[in-house]
Amino acid sequence: MDEVIRVQNLSFAYKQDYEVLKNISLVFDKKSTAIIGQNGAGKTTFVKLLKGLLKPTSGEIYIKGYNTKEVSTAFLSKYIGLVFQNPNDQIFKNTVLEEVMFGPLNILKDKKQAQENAIKALEMVGLQDKMHIHPYDLGLSDRKLVSIASIVSMDPDIIILDEPTIAQDHKGNTIIKNVIKELKEKGKLVITITHDMDFVAEIFERTIVLNEGIILLDGNTREVFSQQEILKKAYLELPHVAQLAKKLGIKQTLLTEQELINFLKHNKLNN
Amino acid sequence: MRYLSLYQEGNSLLHKIDPITKLLFVIIAILVPIIINTLTMALAFFIISTLLVFVARAFKRTLPIISFSSLVIITVLFIQGLFYLKNQTPFFTLGPFVFYKEGLLYATGIAIRIFNIINAVAVLIFTTKPSDLIEALVKKGVSPKIGYVFSSVLQIIPQMMSIVDTILDAQKARGLETEGSFTKRAKAFIPLIGPAVLNSLISTKERAMALEVRGFNSKKKKTFLNEVPYNKYSNVLQVALIAILVFSIIWRIISW
Repeated sequence: MDEVIRVQNLSFAYKQDYEVLKNISLVFDKKSTAIIGQNGAGKTTFVKLLKGLLKPTSGEIYIKGYNTKEVSTAFLSKYIGLVFQNPNDQIFKNTVLEEVMFGPLNILKDKKQAQENAIKALEMVGLQDKMHIHPYDLGLSDRKLVSIASIVSMDPDIIILDEPTIAQDHKGNTIIKNVIKELKEKGKLVITITHDMDFVAEIFERTIVLNEGIILLDGNTREVFSQQEILKKAYLELPHVAQLAKKLGIKQTLLTEQELINFLKHNKLNN
Repeated sequence: MRYLSLYQEGNSLLHKIDPITKLLFVIIAILVPIIINTLTMALAFFIISTLLVFVARAFKRTLPIISFSSLVIITVLFIQGLFYLKNQTPFFTLGPFVFYKEGLLYATGIAIRIFNIINAVAVLIFTTKPSDLIEALVKKGVSPKIGYVFSSVLQIIPQMMSIVDTILDAQKARGLETEGSFTKRAKAFIPLIGPAVLNSLISTKERAMALEVRGFNSKKKKTFLNEVPYNKYSNVLQVALIAILVFSIIWRIISW
């Protein structure tokens, strides 16, 4: 198992005596991972800690062996990238290309290489034709893709996406799914915070359920979604396909449409 | 909604008095000692406002302001004690310096007046939510637009601070060094201020539209969301306070 991130006894509090995260220990390997949980469960706080934007109140986080307490956030950005929820929090350049090049220029110093990376990343999110447009002339969903490209272009080994599917239509969702798949193929660890259970079921191998600062469930996505009782406690729903399967009286936990279709076809033949 | 305010929750008598009465008190505590310019009057108001600070249980929070302004007051004491124009009677000597009674008295007068103002204002701001004060003023006939300007300023500053924090995080996440030498920091300025300005322009536009769809510019008489039950004696108090002001003006004119 390739250990990429190690979290040891992590606790964090914004205010004294009010812990947002309580004694969390985890190891991330290269399996793509979804973090789910109610609002206020501590998901965004957790990824900000991974990224080094916040420092643990107690416990340690090692990103590729570097303790986040000991190195600067800018230094860590070579290894771990975080795409924020709201793209407007970062956009300041005059063209999409320049915006995406900002990150790589910070860590590479070689302009040609930075531009190459930026163009590749824009191709990945399907914005190669809009490179010279002002980012604010794009709609919110495209701007969100710009912010994803601007992290992908930095080529970190770990990429965290905070709510990537917000404000996306079906087309945008498909693009994001493909980006994640492509990153997985390149051997990168993708961690995503999301409320979209269908998205989790379709894409992610591992799922972590956070609830009130502790890990309620952690494991293979299928195993996690078969623990319906515990999920209910965290106010989480099953993916739509799994709900449908349950209503059809199927005992297995099915995660994608294809699985359901195959299951039904197979059963019909048996009947 | 976060508010820029020094208000502290509490249930002292002064928390229950309506904002206008407290505002009137502040105005009178400042004006009356000016109109009747005697040390006794200043002292009387100083004692009253100090008592109110204790009633409001705001002494601990007023103390830092008092001690900060004491620094200034002490220099006034020194300068007037040494160099006041009417200095005649030496009071005490400190090494080669002679302090005079007249100057020290004059400086004490100034000190008492300043502390009086600080205490009176402290009573108001520590026991009144800014939004309540603004709403009370609008109820009294201040234009709602002006009221909105004041309350939005108090809201926007903390909001912008938190936006800047997020932007700082987002740019750090892209490898921007924000610490270190002056040139590094100067370089970091544009990536931070750019989104902040754009964000606030966008949100200003959106806020304007949101207000407009809720009838902000409507000419109809506006109603209020909060009917805060204040102390029923507030009318009596207000009349009394205004009476004090009127009496002091008459007194001044007569004794001219």
